[in-house]
Amino acid sequence: MKSREDILSTLSALFAELFEIDPASVTLEAKLYEDLDVDSIDAVDLVVRLKELTGKKIEPEEFKSVRTVEDVVDAVEAMLGA
Amino acid sequence: MRGSRERLGAGLNRAWRIIGTGVSFALFGIGGIVIGLVIYPLTRLVSPRPDSLRRRMQYLIHLSFRGFVGFMNQLRLLRYSIHGESKLLRPNQLIVANHPTLIDVVMLISRIPRTNCVVKASHWHNPVMAGPVRAAGYIPNTESAILVERCHAALDDGQSLVIFPEGTRSTPGVRPKLQRGTANIALRSGIAILPVRIRCTPSTLTKGLPWYSVPARRFHMELEVGEPIDPAPYLRDHPTVNRAARALTRDLEAVLWPEAKADLVNPA
Repeated sequence: MKSREDILSTLSALFAELFEIDPASVTLEAKLYEDLDVDSIDAVDLVVRLKELTGKKIEPEEFKSVRTVEDVVDAVEAMLGA
Repeated sequence: MRGSRERLGAGLNRAWRIIGTGVSFALFGIGGIVIGLVIYPLTRLVSPRPDSLRRRMQYLIHLSFRGFVGFMNQLRLLRYSIHGESKLLRPNQLIVANHPTLIDVVMLISRIPRTNCVVKASHWHNPVMAGPVRAAGYIPNTESAILVERCHAALDDGQSLVIFPEGTRSTPGVRPKLQRGTANIALRSGIAILPVRIRCTPSTLTKGLPWYSVPARRFHMELEVGEPIDPAPYLRDHPTVNRAARALTRDLEAVLWPEAKADLVNPA
């Protein structure tokens, strides 16, 4: 999971597994709440899984500002780079 | 002759119900202030433990709501009927209802001697509602993740909990968009959902209507208490809680809105 493309494909697999979301709809522009119907409870569980996957910590505060799939990709990239 | 007399009768009846509704709402407001300023401080004096204070206040609010519904019934403003009422009396359950009118929570709590309830967060800053909602330890409808934790804690503590998964009153004729918080509370606390379907005919006190826009005749509130929905099979059948919550929410929606989906339009 290095490039942004890798991160995106990992995310879409994760979204399908966790939330039953069609991988085709997981695009960079897709909005989590409006387009993908991910709620704040789902977001908490998503953060837990991302921590497990990357082995890195993530501050819940950092995730508060996340709106789109691209924001999640950025957050994961930052976690991996840190 | 007869026709005009009937019209006069209907007009007087309607005028009476406008006055009666105004009196009822004024009484509700005064009641809320009296509970907050007088009854709550007095109860606190004789209830050293916070949990006994909360239980007593929940019971007092139940009695006040029961009195209020009885009053509106005596004034011939409303009628009500409840099917399966005894199921409401079981302890420690998650009572979930649709939300057609302003007085759904009043109707429900008037039949449940002690319960917690998720209510609009803005009530904590409303002069009439602030006293009662704080005193009874009710839970404000804040952001879902925090809300789920608080509800879980109340159920763990042995309380019952009333929640409206639409998060707000229904818009008539529009398909409700259920939040998944309720399903998550049931799944994470292992407590069954007791669905209550509320119908009000003719519809009144709906979202966006002023209180004085009374219906053409005395309205009828029907509460139909359904069968409990056990969350355990959903956890078994789905790989994640999040997916179980989606499936449980769909099923809950089908129980609370059994009418043909085709009759409802999607929200804008």
